[in-house]
Amino acid sequence: MTTATDAPILAVENLVTAFRTGGGWHPAVRDVSFAVQRNETLAIVGESGCGKSVTALSIMGLVPPANGRVAGGHIRFAGRDLVGLDEEEMRKIRGDRISMIFQEPMTSLNPVLTIGFQIAEALHYHRDMGRGEANAAALELLDQVKIPSARQRFADYPHQFSGGMRQRVMIAMALACRPELLLADEPTTALDVTIQAQVLSLLAELKAAYGMAMIFITHNLGVVASIADRVAVMYAGEIVEIAPVNELFARPTHPYTELLLRSIPRVDRDTGGLSAITGQVPAIGAMPSGCRFAARCPLREPICTARDPLLVPLADAPDHRVRCWLRAPPSEMASEAGHA
Amino acid sequence: MPEPVLTITGLRKFFTVTRGFPRARTVTVRALDGISFQVRDGEAFGLVGESGCGKSTAGRAVLRLVEPDSGEIVFKGENVITASKARLRELRRKLQIIFQDPYASLNPRRRIGKALIEPMRVHGMADRAECEERARALLAEVGLPDNAMMRYPHEFSGGQRQRIGIARSLTLEPELLVADEPVSALDVSIQSQILLLLQRLQERRKLAFIFISHDLGVVRYFCQSMAVMYLGRIVETGPIPDIFREPLHPYTRMLRDASPVPDPQVKVAMLRIEGEVPSAVNPPSGCHFHTRCPHVMPICREVYPEWRQMDDERGVACHLHAN
Repeated sequence: MTTATDAPILAVENLVTAFRTGGGWHPAVRDVSFAVQRNETLAIVGESGCGKSVTALSIMGLVPPANGRVAGGHIRFAGRDLVGLDEEEMRKIRGDRISMIFQEPMTSLNPVLTIGFQIAEALHYHRDMGRGEANAAALELLDQVKIPSARQRFADYPHQFSGGMRQRVMIAMALACRPELLLADEPTTALDVTIQAQVLSLLAELKAAYGMAMIFITHNLGVVASIADRVAVMYAGEIVEIAPVNELFARPTHPYTELLLRSIPRVDRDTGGLSAITGQVPAIGAMPSGCRFAARCPLREPICTARDPLLVPLADAPDHRVRCWLRAPPSEMASEAGHA
Repeated sequence: MPEPVLTITGLRKFFTVTRGFPRARTVTVRALDGISFQVRDGEAFGLVGESGCGKSTAGRAVLRLVEPDSGEIVFKGENVITASKARLRELRRKLQIIFQDPYASLNPRRRIGKALIEPMRVHGMADRAECEERARALLAEVGLPDNAMMRYPHEFSGGQRQRIGIARSLTLEPELLVADEPVSALDVSIQSQILLLLQRLQERRKLAFIFISHDLGVVRYFCQSMAVMYLGRIVETGPIPDIFREPLHPYTRMLRDASPVPDPQVKVAMLRIEGEVPSAVNPPSGCHFHTRCPHVMPICREVYPEWRQMDDERGVACHLHAN
């Protein structure tokens, strides 16, 4: 677990990332704020289209410029705002101090280059290492991600590796420059459960060894429970709840989080009932006013559709913040809505 | 105990694949290497395992969508393998399938109404007006609005398309549904909607299911019994509560313990990192699982363990449980 005394390595403040669809700009991510400490894993969890990947791409400066842009807010990395940084500067940070792994390693690995070459490339570029030195370091990395007989496999091509091993190669590439922050976007979603368990334990081990911060993006609350220190739940482009992992699972407070947890068929118990969340996520171009979950929420009151709720701390748990008029009324309204 | 509606015995299917460049090689994939199981009347039978274990091939072979090499499939006393063309047509009415991605199985240029009515017309179930009425009733049953009849597949979300896939599988009033990863592509909140729908249909229509999934949580929720497959063979079968409480095969235990649980107090088993996971192209000697098994013994490397039926319902193929 973490001690949150010193300054966070990453602080995202009021991030807005918009995309152009149907002639207008629509925010895919709105008013997203969170911080990540060194040696901490923050999981961002949510369903397709909730903005979790867009948040990661915004941090990496990889929002496609043709139809997307960071339209507001700040992304402070080690005290420096990444928003508005030019591509040249960003390229020095990306792959060096911040790196990212993706869901499908085969699409991020170059099929015609050997994996040894691809790992050494980052060291060559960022650390100005010579070929021999970079290769030696790359080999060591392959050992660290536990590729068996790494020396023999060094000159192999990506297609000669299985899915789980490719993902480990991706991890080796991402860690080559000992980044301070690793963004992992659904890194185990395409893997079988036994392979997923292997990759998760490897990531946890390396994170501890390197003391790096990690943002782990997933739709799987089971994976969240096993890897995260803190959790942010996103819905329709906003964080609706953020809390330390034990607190979130013990006391899910936003109705969406609560329903989501109750709609997972569990492998560890004979499930009685399963809740379903009726309806579906609103489209990006047709966001309702007020709370974006209101249309699907069983607790809906008139205020929910009238005004946008704020992400506010719970009275008895300041590190547990919730965006809900009824479950987490702002303090000046607490007496009025306290009965809800 | 209800009677079995479907009995599979020694089902085998090998594929030959030619691949590689510049020197292409022909290899044999032992997708189904002699599997046997029974599905009881009104029961949901889970078929679980990781990618490449042969579970989807098994589902398709039951409907003869892939032609098995050998083995027997008996549905309500009738042999599906030897059935004549005409009989097979009749049998297919009773055996239907739901796919993971219904969009791939819907014609993008055909309205939903037509997609639902066509199978009924082909099988001569009723006249046009009555078929249309039945199609509307089916849409209502799966929770879609009446106007879906006139719309095209692209106008629906993933969850709605799966509802359409389910409605279409019901048009011929089947008795057994093969559901091949029906909720795997869906978000959690939509997944639970579809599971609840399938459960309602199972109760109302007394349907039997072969429910194929890699997600043990979903299988535990939906099914009454299950078989665990590994590289083309069944390694364990039994009732759901028993298997989850006390898995007999080390692979079943590994699958269960590696499945993430939404509770930070329950830590997922941290598994030893492996190299290449073996595949059905070249399964290991002896017990296929011996390369990954924490309890491996010398005999496991030599001899494939014989099937042992522990009681009426439970069975396992593992030297730890040999006679």
